[in-house]
Amino acid sequence: MAVRYIEPFIAATVAVFHELFQVTAEVQKPYLVKPGDPHNWDVSAIIGLAGDARGAVVLSFTDSFAYELTASLADTSASPPPDLVTDTIGEVVNIVAGNAKKGLEQYRLVISLPSIVKGKNHVIAWPTKGIPIIGVPFKTSIEPFHLSVGLENIVTYE
Amino acid sequence: MRILVVDDSRVARNIVKNMLKSMYHVEDGFVEASNGEEAWSALQASSVDLVLLDWNMALLNGIDLLRRLRREDRFKALPVIMVTSEAAKYNVIEAVKAGANDYLIKPLTEKNLYEKVRKYFVQEGL
Repeated sequence: MAVRYIEPFIAATVAVFHELFQVTAEVQKPYLVKPGDPHNWDVSAIIGLAGDARGAVVLSFTDSFAYELTASLADTSASPPPDLVTDTIGEVVNIVAGNAKKGLEQYRLVISLPSIVKGKNHVIAWPTKGIPIIGVPFKTSIEPFHLSVGLENIVTYE
Repeated sequence: MRILVVDDSRVARNIVKNMLKSMYHVEDGFVEASNGEEAWSALQASSVDLVLLDWNMALLNGIDLLRRLRREDRFKALPVIMVTSEAAKYNVIEAVKAGANDYLIKPLTEKNLYEKVRKYFVQEGL
């Protein structure tokens, strides 16, 4: 995966946090993720990518930040139920993946329904093995979160 | 005016409903469905004036529901606005070819939603 393919995902993430949550997401230094490395995230929302390129996009959060994001969209001040938190972060990664397609129009991509993985040091099952996975930490005024993208080129029209 | 909001995300349905309620008096309220099959059943059970339709959903996705609607005489003229994260031009073209009246890309803004739905409220005299 060429590094430039991460850019539409970064731009979409920044835009979604701004539009949906009025939160400024500051991009930190991207790095190469080693699958299986320990991490401190409690929950990840995953969208698979298929079509001319295969891969996945993953957003990872602490529980407290996932709850805070959900509460900011909820009608009530009560703590949001867990299913609503799952719904919210699934919708966020769905919007990020769908919006990123605009910057990757050289590929015809199909996005999957979101899935959620929870638990301390949970493991992401990447759909393709051996592809480089780019990790992008984000900083916000509330808490940090993390974007990971792995995209294997199958077909190119360039 | 009765609006069918079809989205597999409850949060997304609430965002749409809350934005619309802040702009218009949605006299006859909302009908909700979390996938295309539920929406199809809802359309058999009650009459709606406008459909706001997500794309990616389990069981029956939005674009396939739209094609099914346009094959039926009684739903050929039913206004359908796609409300989806699918932002690629080829998706917009596919939706328009399938019979979408309009296309909105998530995340929604009140301005974009207002502009897209206004003409349907005007047609209804609201």
